[in-house]
Amino acid sequence: MIFAVLQRLGQMLFVMIGISALVFLIFFATPGSDPAARLAGRNASPETVEAIRKDFGFDRPLPVQYVIMMNRLFVTQDLTSFVNRGMRVVPAVAQAAPVTLSLVAGAAVLWVIGGIFVGVVAALSRDTLLDRGLMVLALIGVSMPVYWLGEVMNLMTQSRFHDTVFFSWVPSLGYKPLLTDPWGWFKTLIIPWFTLAALYIGIYGRVLRANLVEAYQEDFIRTARAKGLSPTRVMVRHALRTSLIPFVTMFGLDFGVLVGGSALLTEVVFGLNGVGRLTYQALLNLDLPMVLGTVMYASFFVVVANALVDVVYVLIDPRVRES
Amino acid sequence: MSIPSDIASPDAFIPDMPDETAGKRVGASPWRRAWLLMRRDKPTVLAAIVLVLIVVSSLSAPLYAGYVAASDPFRSNLSARITVDGKRVKVMQASTEGLGLGVTPIGPTYGAQYFLGADTQGRDVAARLLYGGRNSLLIATSATVICLVLAAVIGITAGFFGGITDQILSRILDILWAFPVYLLAISLSIVLLSHGIVIGPIEITGDSLLLPIVIIGIIYVPYVARPVRGRVMALKKSEFVLAAKGLGIPAWRILVNDILPNVSTMLIVFVPLMMALNIITESSLSFLSIGVQAPDASWGTIIQDGQTLLYTRPAVALAPGIAIALTVLSLNVLGDSIRDALDPRTKLV
Amino acid sequence: MTIRLKQLTRHAGTMLATCLLAQTALGGAAQAQDRAALMSEHRGGTITLAAVSAAGTVDPMINYTAQFWQIFQMTYDGLVKFKQAAGTDGFDIVPSIAEALPEPTNDGKTYVFKIRKGIKFSNGKDVTPADVVASFQRIFKIKGPTTGSFYNGIVGADACIATPESCTLEGGVTGDDTAGTVTINLVAPDAEIFSKLAVPHASILPADAPLADAGTTPIPGTGAYMIASYDPNAEMVLKRNPSFKEWSVDAQPDGYADEVVYKFGLTEEAAINAIINGQIDWMFDTPPSDRLPEIGAKYASQVHIDPLAAFWYAPMNTNLAPFDNVKVRQAVNYALDRDALVGLFGGDVLAQPVCQILPPDFPGHVDSCLYTKAPGESWSEPDMEKAQALVDESGTKGQKVTIIAEDNAVARGIGTYIASVLTELGYDASMKAISPNIQFTYIQNTNNNVQISVSQWYQDYPAASNFLNVLLSCSSFNKGSDASVNIAGYCNTELDAKMKQAMTTALTDQDAANVLWADVDKGFMEQAPLAPLFTPKSVNFTSARLGNYVFNKQNRWNIAQSWVK
Repeated sequence: MIFAVLQRLGQMLFVMIGISALVFLIFFATPGSDPAARLAGRNASPETVEAIRKDFGFDRPLPVQYVIMMNRLFVTQDLTSFVNRGMRVVPAVAQAAPVTLSLVAGAAVLWVIGGIFVGVVAALSRDTLLDRGLMVLALIGVSMPVYWLGEVMNLMTQSRFHDTVFFSWVPSLGYKPLLTDPWGWFKTLIIPWFTLAALYIGIYGRVLRANLVEAYQEDFIRTARAKGLSPTRVMVRHALRTSLIPFVTMFGLDFGVLVGGSALLTEVVFGLNGVGRLTYQALLNLDLPMVLGTVMYASFFVVVANALVDVVYVLIDPRVRES
Repeated sequence: MSIPSDIASPDAFIPDMPDETAGKRVGASPWRRAWLLMRRDKPTVLAAIVLVLIVVSSLSAPLYAGYVAASDPFRSNLSARITVDGKRVKVMQASTEGLGLGVTPIGPTYGAQYFLGADTQGRDVAARLLYGGRNSLLIATSATVICLVLAAVIGITAGFFGGITDQILSRILDILWAFPVYLLAISLSIVLLSHGIVIGPIEITGDSLLLPIVIIGIIYVPYVARPVRGRVMALKKSEFVLAAKGLGIPAWRILVNDILPNVSTMLIVFVPLMMALNIITESSLSFLSIGVQAPDASWGTIIQDGQTLLYTRPAVALAPGIAIALTVLSLNVLGDSIRDALDPRTKLV
Repeated sequence: MTIRLKQLTRHAGTMLATCLLAQTALGGAAQAQDRAALMSEHRGGTITLAAVSAAGTVDPMINYTAQFWQIFQMTYDGLVKFKQAAGTDGFDIVPSIAEALPEPTNDGKTYVFKIRKGIKFSNGKDVTPADVVASFQRIFKIKGPTTGSFYNGIVGADACIATPESCTLEGGVTGDDTAGTVTINLVAPDAEIFSKLAVPHASILPADAPLADAGTTPIPGTGAYMIASYDPNAEMVLKRNPSFKEWSVDAQPDGYADEVVYKFGLTEEAAINAIINGQIDWMFDTPPSDRLPEIGAKYASQVHIDPLAAFWYAPMNTNLAPFDNVKVRQAVNYALDRDALVGLFGGDVLAQPVCQILPPDFPGHVDSCLYTKAPGESWSEPDMEKAQALVDESGTKGQKVTIIAEDNAVARGIGTYIASVLTELGYDASMKAISPNIQFTYIQNTNNNVQISVSQWYQDYPAASNFLNVLLSCSSFNKGSDASVNIAGYCNTELDAKMKQAMTTALTDQDAANVLWADVDKGFMEQAPLAPLFTPKSVNFTSARLGNYVFNKQNRWNIAQSWVK
């Protein structure tokens, strides 16, 4: 058992190191991204650029630079941006994290409730008009690019229908901190929540319906129904329980990826300064320290979410537990 | 975001134990059976028709631009004038109200010229939409082919040979897989766009359409290679392969006769789903201006153009978005039904 | 430049005259009223500013952005300073930490500045000659971006550039505590020395300021405000400097608002909405083009449009095909429809077509346009036939051309348009947009083989050399370096010599120098290493409550002079 845990940890570490090396190589091997010139400023003389290069150690061999940078990122935590001089990477990520967490957590609540609702109702009303309608809606949700949906929502709530009763409450884009302005926090995030959740409600609803339909054909459900249990009981106690297992797995992975910064398109469209937008800006600016910091943060969540999902899987799935 | 998790969650891909008779069903060939099944399903037929319409209209883009819109959708048209309702009007109209700030392109005329209005360069949006569709579809299709071929090679190699080969390939896939896919795509695009790729004699320049194709083709490989590997490994342990081995049939024949057909059915099932995913990915990258480069168009670049006109001329951003949604929707419907007909045990999720 | 300087020295003696000038400068409504009365009426409140992103370090000796130079006006002072006044009066130079503008001695190589008594840093300490000397050393010790371009003319600067750590500027900058003076010795006379001392890079900081980039930790200054906190991802807060006593309305006037909050991270759309709703008072970024008609029509009184000393241009790499052929470069100049480009920038209210390097109203500018249908004083329309003919003659048709633009709506639009024109001329043209943070250095490096790009140049200080000499001299071209602001890679020894001559002439006769500069401008345009596109105007959209808007051509909107009460 301990060995398995250690092995798993070793694997996680390996993956994280692999990713950091990959990012480092991608961005340092790029010609034309010389950070010294950008640090030196506009119209700097070549001598100044050289001095800066030495100062920041860009003249040293790549492996040395890699080790120094990782040390400054994780051990001393004083790694600073190449673009915003003096801006530290770790606090910057720490500041952006609550924004992303607010966005993703709110959306997750919506998509879990929405997904279960769509899945259960569609499965119960299987092959009726309602079922078909819900599935078409779910498919539409899956098919719209999220950034485009965001733009359309902005267009409606910020401009076209902003003066109507429906959307006059919508504040201008941007994030408001939960602790200082909870009501503002809620109001600025509600549209992004729905936008981000639309895709996932579609996916989760479809998955759940398929699993429920399948479950209803299994022997134990047939038995339960034959015993005369109420349909609600059959649904909740038996069918839903088994069908939710893949649902939980998916949720863990999606949530991890999104919290790590993959909600960047939603953040960009709604002007939320979360981890995703931070990552995106850093990538665009070839700001290597910031890229390393944010990508490490993102992959950390992916790796952890994976491990957690595996654990949860063992806990909730009787078949795995027994074997 | 992330990627739609129907592909993002690799666990969900892992197929159940393979059907021993898969690919060897009695009677009509499985392909023919699938075709018959799908033909009877109304939504499938509808989706196929929509898809064919989209492809045909995209292919006829030069005809539309040449004979209907009568304008070159890749040329800036900032000082052009056209006739609308008998009046000569400018395509780019300077504001006359108040301080007279800003220049707004003409809105939808719903006529032959500028049916959907003009974009910020005074180009016909309808014509660009069709040309954009060509690129979006081309990129999605080619990237799908690259992805599936690479994934098949890697997955089969790792699964069939096992051992150290499997170990190395799997670890590499692990790393790629933990790199959030959009971040990987954006990183590669940003870096490669500025310098292109040079691999030996092959050179892909930064503005080439091949670049987004290659990038999108690569990033999803781990997501497909994993389930392929899983299925190959399962097949290797299945009774008929063990039996074949027992009979002394050489490995390559087992590979060709038993494993490839099974895997290819699986890959076929992935095709429409990967295409749908690739279309969205391409448009997202282009929206962030790191996909297709100007003056070429794709649905994503048109949305990006339209974003700066969202408040005054929303049609520019709305139209390509609807085109993307329709295409992806049809591909998803088609994907579902191909899976149901061909290989119901390859789980979409 | 010197014309203005001379004017000023004439006025400098009479305090009254200067004050009156300042009053007129403070703009329309304020004219008649007494400044003190206005101050008591409008003092207080918080001005809220917004920008999409912060502009990096708050070290005034390192930051080289218009965005923060505007802020530094009210937080730091140099020995001398650009006048905090409206319009082109902002080009005038006034004494700040120094009591007066000294006359040069020693053949124009020595300046003795008398340090004003009673000025305090925001940490409560007095400004002494020692602080001034330490500040000049600090410019080199922290490897400031302009050490090699602005301050290399000071005696001892060479040694400081070579080994910054041990910089003393011996014989260059020396202080005399008893006399309360600082002496600056130059290697050679420099007509632009006051301008170079007036920009924020020569701010006077406490002698104990850290000898490294201050990053996000503000250094105490002498201005009416001090930076209380700075977080590039959230906001910068400026508060009144507790030790501040107004000593010169021209150089460092007391401000109206008690606090200035600069928010970062708001998108342009969000900022526009917030200004309309009165939540913020001003946005740094240009309003997005699809909102321009709306704000121009509905909120005309809150929109301020002011000319800038700047130009947008397309540098063409004279060392790479096809632009190594002068005919091709001329063809591009003939073919570009400047009206269309102005339209892309927001219409003729916001920009003016140009086909020369020095912007209108700039020292040395003489109206001239070589590349239009009827060449003369101004641009009228493109001459496609001539352009086509030139391209045919050059025999470069069909070559591949990539244009590099910044990745924002306006620059992308301009890049796309130029690509379209190049296609029309027969090239296989495409446009590539790269992040604004990288584009400027990317297009400079010859290793990146950029053929043509879209760029802008805003003056650092009002001198023709700041455009012509900086952008096109042989010494601005450094092969294989990201610091090669001569993006066209154009080196013309004849014109280089002429520029040197103009700079020497400027020491004694600015008018004669201006004539030379106009000649140089024309000389460059004949060779066309770049294609000027237009001169932009600044658009500032302010909240309804903001009063006394003063725009200064050197440092733009004068934040401290506006009130919100």
